[in-house]
Amino acid sequence: MVKTFFRFMLIMGDRLPIYLGAILLSTIGDAGRKIASSYLIKDIITAAQTDNTNNILWIVFINFLVFVLGLLLWRFSIIHYNIEGRIGVGKMQKLVFSKAMRLPMSYYEKKHSGDFMSRLIFDTQRASDIYTSRLRRFLSAIISTIIYLIPMFYLNYELTFCLIAISLIAFVINGLFANPMKKAHKRLSNKNSKMIEKLTNILSGMELIKIFPISLKLSKEYEVANKEYFHIQKSTNQLSAGLECVNCMFDLVGALAFLGLGIWFVSMERISLGELTGLYALYGAFRNVFSEIGLYFPQIIDCIANVEKIFEFLDMEEEPEQWGFETYNNKTAVVDKDIILSMRNISFEYNDGRKVLEDFSMEIKKGSFTAIVGASGCGKSTLAKLLLGFYPLGKGSMFIDGKEYSKFTLREVRDRISYVPQEPYLYKTTINENIAYGRYWASQDEIVAAAKAANAHNFIMKLPNGYNTVLGERGNTLSGGEKQRIAIARAIIRNTPIIILDEATSALDNESEALIQEAIKALKGKHTILMIAHRPSSIISADIIIKIRG
Amino acid sequence: MVKAGLRNSYLLLLFIIFSFILSESIIMGNDFIAEATDMMLSGQKIYFSDFITPLLCMIALGTLSAYLKSIFGKYYSSIVQRDVRISLGKHLLKLPFSYFDEKGTGSIITRLISDIEEMGRFFSEILPNLLINIITVMTATIYLIQMDIMLIVILFASYPIMLIVADKLSKKLAELTKKLRTHMDECTEKTYDAIQGIAVGRSYNLYEVHKQKIDTVIDNMVSQACKSTRISSLGWVLKNVITTIPVIFCYLFALYEITQGRITVGEMLAFTVILNRILYPIGEIVFCANDIREIGVSLKRIQEIYSRLEEKKGGDIHNIPEDTRTAPVVEWKNIDFCYDRSKERHILNGMSFSVKAGEQIAFVGGSGEGKTTIFKLLCGFYEKNNGQYRLFGHFFENWNLETARNCFSVVSQNVFLFPETIKQNVACGKENATDEEIIEACKNANIHNFIMSLPEGYGTLVGERGVRLSGGQRQRISIARAFLKDAPILLLDEPTSSVDIDAERKIQDAIERISTGKTVIIIAHRLSTVKNAKRIYVVKEGKIVEMGNHEELLERDGIYADMYIKG
Repeated sequence: MVKTFFRFMLIMGDRLPIYLGAILLSTIGDAGRKIASSYLIKDIITAAQTDNTNNILWIVFINFLVFVLGLLLWRFSIIHYNIEGRIGVGKMQKLVFSKAMRLPMSYYEKKHSGDFMSRLIFDTQRASDIYTSRLRRFLSAIISTIIYLIPMFYLNYELTFCLIAISLIAFVINGLFANPMKKAHKRLSNKNSKMIEKLTNILSGMELIKIFPISLKLSKEYEVANKEYFHIQKSTNQLSAGLECVNCMFDLVGALAFLGLGIWFVSMERISLGELTGLYALYGAFRNVFSEIGLYFPQIIDCIANVEKIFEFLDMEEEPEQWGFETYNNKTAVVDKDIILSMRNISFEYNDGRKVLEDFSMEIKKGSFTAIVGASGCGKSTLAKLLLGFYPLGKGSMFIDGKEYSKFTLREVRDRISYVPQEPYLYKTTINENIAYGRYWASQDEIVAAAKAANAHNFIMKLPNGYNTVLGERGNTLSGGEKQRIAIARAIIRNTPIIILDEATSALDNESEALIQEAIKALKGKHTILMIAHRPSSIISADIIIKIRG
Repeated sequence: MVKAGLRNSYLLLLFIIFSFILSESIIMGNDFIAEATDMMLSGQKIYFSDFITPLLCMIALGTLSAYLKSIFGKYYSSIVQRDVRISLGKHLLKLPFSYFDEKGTGSIITRLISDIEEMGRFFSEILPNLLINIITVMTATIYLIQMDIMLIVILFASYPIMLIVADKLSKKLAELTKKLRTHMDECTEKTYDAIQGIAVGRSYNLYEVHKQKIDTVIDNMVSQACKSTRISSLGWVLKNVITTIPVIFCYLFALYEITQGRITVGEMLAFTVILNRILYPIGEIVFCANDIREIGVSLKRIQEIYSRLEEKKGGDIHNIPEDTRTAPVVEWKNIDFCYDRSKERHILNGMSFSVKAGEQIAFVGGSGEGKTTIFKLLCGFYEKNNGQYRLFGHFFENWNLETARNCFSVVSQNVFLFPETIKQNVACGKENATDEEIIEACKNANIHNFIMSLPEGYGTLVGERGVRLSGGQRQRISIARAFLKDAPILLLDEPTSSVDIDAERKIQDAIERISTGKTVIIIAHRLSTVKNAKRIYVVKEGKIVEMGNHEELLERDGIYADMYIKG
């Protein structure tokens, strides 16, 4: 826990001292302000009591000056604190988000991307709370408790001890409430997410609701979830009302006992009335910060739990630069110069034990158009993913450009292959940029040419903003066929020796499919084309058809 | 929303009463102290025991009312939240489909959910806090007025300035916060985008491109936050200075009054205590304007949903006719339609067709030619602009909408499954479906064997939107659902577009079984699925351009024949 915390703070790097210094200064400034204003009251009351109003304006002025200086110190340091905290958050976010893009492929396939992203964002947010608020609150509560105690002891140590005793009792009682409160909140948040799930059902299942007789059922489910939530809320309310009541009692007992005791002390002439009032004002501030220590400590602990999750994530193994020697099982085999891709005696099984390829071999000639067919689940798509180096190979060896895969980094391998996946993914940006992702420095003319080759130009021009149209999430503002054509344009513009199309024309109507087939045929010769298909229509023009049996 | 708030207002009233008692008891306690101080200062001997009983009473009363105050306040907020949520849920179910189509993206759904949570926060935090602050300030003010009215005048003199400053700063801050939030959304969105498209990103070596984009957004966020910290800290400084200056004047004035003999030192002491208690709430009242402004946006959006008209119930035809032989099941004459926002883009232009009982017809054509819109109109999700639509011989307008929808079963392109069990998802098709009926439907949909092969069988959870199943499996579950519904008309929207041949065969087989004895309307772009249709309509730009059966259309040598040959 402590180790995690220190590691987390060290993310800030050499800016950490500035950050901590800013916390200290801002606390001192704030406390100075409060102390000045309570001394102000003290001095005025003393003046009232003793009827000595000489110099009072001067004293008030000095106090006010300290007050303003305290405020300015606070402002100066809080600005720096916030800036440093934010920079720290930025550093952490960069670490986390870039890590999220470097994990092995199997991770993304195992986890639902929405799930893991929202968890990650939640954890990052909670963790960054430490930088931007929690740590300061906690530290400044401790620092200012000490700062307030000094003048309080100075004013009157006996009364101060009594006050600390009362505060300690309140502190302990609050601590007793902490655990049941935490449990109650957990139950509450569970019920809340259930409620949200039911609401989401209503909102996203609207088409079904209109057609099928389920609207009553859904509305009832939501109602029940609501009532359950309400029920839990009611018992949580009891608890927090109890806590509030206890706190209020201590507040009153503290305040009244303090005044009672104070008067007694005054009557025994051990403290002046002015000092008593000043002490009271300080006590108000002290009580607040003191209870804050108890309030903020568990919050920090909670956040550190999130930090731990983030570190767990950051420490996860990344996809390596290249799969090691043994994974690609080198057999110093020689490959014909003509053969651009070669797989020899490959067997592969997924982590979950699903076997897909067994002793599979194939050779692909440079410039050829090969179709790979077979029933679903026989491993066609896996083949493409293996060629792209998404997974380490189980058994067998693979060659590209006449050399062992292990001679290349994954980057180099992927620079030779353009891949159009089964469900084409388009990014939420302009069509232009989506195509240009194939070659980032491509000119507008090249983009248009690629779009034309993929038979996408015409429909793009029909859109109100043409190539500058910003697509929706996952490119969902376009139809399946349109998405596929843009994905193909992206592959074409990349101009790699190998193009792998995984069911890339499945969502197209016959007419556009035929046009794309034309385009693909035109690429043959200059590029090697590997087409995974399960519709006979898409493989008519292939030179070689490889059939895989599961 | 207001209604729910008012209905339970007695709780709010109790909350206010107990808050009042609480602050009164504190004030009364103070009175005792002030009295004691004065007595002491005037040289009288005081006995602490004289004060202990009333003080203890005060504490007991205060504690009790603090508890009751809290209970009633919280109970009020919970009950109002519950009522509003339930009624909102009911209302949402009755809204026209177009509302969701318009707003149907995930982000808007998320926003609605957060709006509802914000509304909860309004009732649980903002409103009670505001009320309690107002009450504290009011009772304390009344007490102070009795003491010396000038004190109050001085104290409140600065508040107009504070209001103006608070307002200006809060507007500026709200603007910055909004920008910051946009950046945050952008950051999440960009990361999410990069991760969902990881297969493309990785195979195209886009890591640096994406990383740079995300880093830029994060840097923007940092600089934005720096700007807002300057302003908010300035606000804090001003707030403190503005509230402190009148307080100092108050004290000085009180001192002056004491020297003049108009108030006693004890009273001044009590005044100090009270002043300390109300300074914070006074500031809060002013600055809670920000919170209210923020929540106001959410409340307004919720109010907007309430103000949306419910979907029309339709006419009063409540029975599907027994004898369906006479009139065509569905008949369209010159139907025009456009989604109302963009009047210029007509989706359907004078569309006409008809289908008799037991017939199977199909619509073919390229993507984006308006085929799916036909289904949306058939089910009454949208209203046509012009033309006639008859269902079983009656004008659609005369049908009760729910009854009319009972005539249709839909198997659509994008299957939506609830994140529940397979069984619950199939059971959607029919109210109170028995287990036997569900299994029967799944058998007919060719999915029973697959379901049984799962470790938890029908109890398997399908995951969010059914992600744990393949496209073909989802499709077959939706067919099983349609089987259960057993409606006279079956609408199939490209049911086999994104599945492989093996799965397609299974689906085809299931469709054949479900189609027997039904009127079937298919949308397709794979011509293989429609060959057997009685009539095929070729749709282009919202119009029927060719019509006939497969052979006739081939003979005609038009668009269809062209499509067929190329396919």
